[in-house]
Amino acid sequence: MLFRVIDKNEVPSLVRGFAAHYEVVGPVERNGGFAFDEVGSDPSRLRVDYDTTLLPPKKYLFPPKAELFTYDTVNNEVKDIDIPVVPRVLFGLHSCDINAINRLDAVFMASDFPDPYYRAQREATMIVGIDCTPNDHCFCNLWGTDEVTQGYDLFLHDLGDRYLVSILSVTAAEILAVATSARPASPKDSIDFQEKARAFKNSFSSGPAVYELPILMDAFYNDGLWDELGDRCLSCTACSMVCPTCYCFNMVDKLDAGGRSGARLRLWDSCCSPSFALVAGGHNFRPTAASRVRNRFYHKFLGYLSKYGNTLCTGCGRCERACKAHISPRVVIQGLQHKAVQSDAAAQGEGGRS
Amino acid sequence: MTQLAKPSMFENPYRPWPARITSITELTSTEKLFELRIIDPDVREAFHHSDGQFVELSIFGVGEAPISISSSPSKQGFIELCVRRAGTVTTVLHDMQCGDVVGLRGPFGHGFPFEEMKGKDILLVAGGLGIAPLRSLINHIHDERSEFGNVTIIYGSRNPAEVMFRSQFEMWRHRKDFNLILTVDRTNDLPWDGEVGLVTKFIPGLELDPSNTYGAIVGPPGMYRFVIAEMRKKGLHYDKIYVSFERQMKCGMGRCGHCMVGHQYTCIDGPVFNYWEAVNIQGAM
Ligand SMILES: Cc1cc2nc3c(=O)[nH]c(=O)nc-3n(C[C@H](O)[C@H](O)[C@H](O)COP(=O)(O)OP(=O)(O)OC[C@H]3O[C@@H](n4cnc5c(N)ncnc54)[C@H](O)[C@@H]3O)c2cc1C
Ligand code: SF4
Ligand code: SF4
Repeated sequence: MLFRVIDKNEVPSLVRGFAAHYEVVGPVERNGGFAFDEVGSDPSRLRVDYDTTLLPPKKYLFPPKAELFTYDTVNNEVKDIDIPVVPRVLFGLHSCDINAINRLDAVFMASDFPDPYYRAQREATMIVGIDCTPNDHCFCNLWGTDEVTQGYDLFLHDLGDRYLVSILSVTAAEILAVATSARPASPKDSIDFQEKARAFKNSFSSGPAVYELPILMDAFYNDGLWDELGDRCLSCTACSMVCPTCYCFNMVDKLDAGGRSGARLRLWDSCCSPSFALVAGGHNFRPTAASRVRNRFYHKFLGYLSKYGNTLCTGCGRCERACKAHISPRVVIQGLQHKAVQSDAAAQGEGGRS
Repeated sequence: MTQLAKPSMFENPYRPWPARITSITELTSTEKLFELRIIDPDVREAFHHSDGQFVELSIFGVGEAPISISSSPSKQGFIELCVRRAGTVTTVLHDMQCGDVVGLRGPFGHGFPFEEMKGKDILLVAGGLGIAPLRSLINHIHDERSEFGNVTIIYGSRNPAEVMFRSQFEMWRHRKDFNLILTVDRTNDLPWDGEVGLVTKFIPGLELDPSNTYGAIVGPPGMYRFVIAEMRKKGLHYDKIYVSFERQMKCGMGRCGHCMVGHQYTCIDGPVFNYWEAVNIQGAM
């Protein structure tokens, strides 16, 4: 890791430096909120002060709809496998979203079956991270995803009038050197960085501790809490669609007109969708909304953790905003902790009587 | 700025390989046995499976279905799939003829611990279509029979019309080296000279050395609990009893999420689990 310092007004020039070689995507204002869009052609649209976007950047690595291959139905064989790759810079990602991409990398790249579609695009993607200002829906501090130490090429730490740039890749370092007057960090820069980091940590509202969360998920697996949440859930799947870490998908065949050829598609799917675990013959392994909501959080808080060592939630708060039924990781965590306190009190009461 | 990367075909686990149907045997009114040969000789040679693994079978324009490999790994160059007509893909497959081509990818999943089972007594219990994955193990044990101790196979069907691989098992019934128990729930007034009763009925009477026995069970979801209970009563160890799960599956690679059960993916962590693993998966048993 290498550190340099640039002035804030050098950001447009840095974007143009990347745009000479890559498509550059970053946050722009849209419909009163923010969204990721192409900004290389007009860096002035870039809004590095955005709080969050409605949709996460995952679509640039794992598109909502992708063609895996085309086939010929006459001879029943694969015709063509084209993996489209766009050399791209994701500019201005927050720590939570970079941590989310790291979670996806573990699933799609470090597997016994590396995903060639994801991998090709991931390898052609550079990431420039930037500091954020937490809003009421953010709770990355619960998981430690308010910081990121890998997965990016550059990270811009806000020091007021300048950025301390943390550099992880040679290609990005070279572009930074050409496009800006990057200078080595001074002792003053490092002192300012320390103060900024402290202020950032303090800017979060404190939340519940989550160390015991996997234990609670297990202990309250059959609790009525899931029925309460299930009764509210509309099975609309909005939570999964806006989530930067949800990666469930479906594979479907689409025929061209005439039916002699077609394509196999991979589409985003959601474990909250009612037919997600339905099998031939009509048996549904997760027939109720309660069982599906539980499955979604069980995977996020325990299943993924047991396989990859991390929680599959970055606390970005997108699902909390999107869910009309007020179901969110924080609601689940608080619900479980409330149950734990309740049953502990009940157990104490029983102990007292005996 | 779109560029195209063409990966080597072996690097793409989503790519089904063309395989030709070289034989079709009608087993019952709803089940057929398909013998398939992957057409590309390099891919065919590279294909090695273990007992209990499955393939994803593609019919382009229709879709894919996960199907257990029903032939023994000791037979190379072809695989056999025993398929029930259950929905879209399996119905189109049932209408296909010898010489037709389908797509195959795999093999996927964790199967039975064949090597570990060597030198031990074996108790295999199949219910209905559960015979499909167990047949691979049964035939594999047959091909290396001297490596195993006593082998007991209990295969239950609902009625005589649903018994699969009948001619193979007819021959085996008279063999001294297999204790084969064929049973039906009801005879439905059809000719039947096997046993009548649920598979669980025949476990208490078996003479077993529990510390030296491996059990394996594949059948409809409702069957497991009862068969496991009988095996436990006999004293078989938790981690020496194997079960196989069926869930909706799309990718087969531990990614698409459909087959998730508790904290595990049926496709890569299973479909075969030992009972100790299975009871520790929330919602599995
Ligand atoms: C590990 C494993 C091994 C299996 N082995 C066999 C076997 O040896 N013989 C056999 O006849 N059947 C087997 N099945 C069941 C078989 O996969 C389903 O019957 C088949 O997928 C139905 O597909 P369909 O298109 O005909 O039915 P539809 O109901 O039209 O299915 C539509 C889609 O739903 C999914 N789906 C539906 N049912 C199942 C299911 N039970 N399991 C997984 N996905 C499902 C599939 O993705 C399928 O493409 C196995 C299933 C699993 C998971
Ligand atoms: S939890 Fe909320 S967003 Fe998710 S499916 Fe249910 S209602 Fe929709
Ligand atoms: S579960 Fe909700 S808060 Fe957590 S990463 Fe997904 S969208 Fe963000």
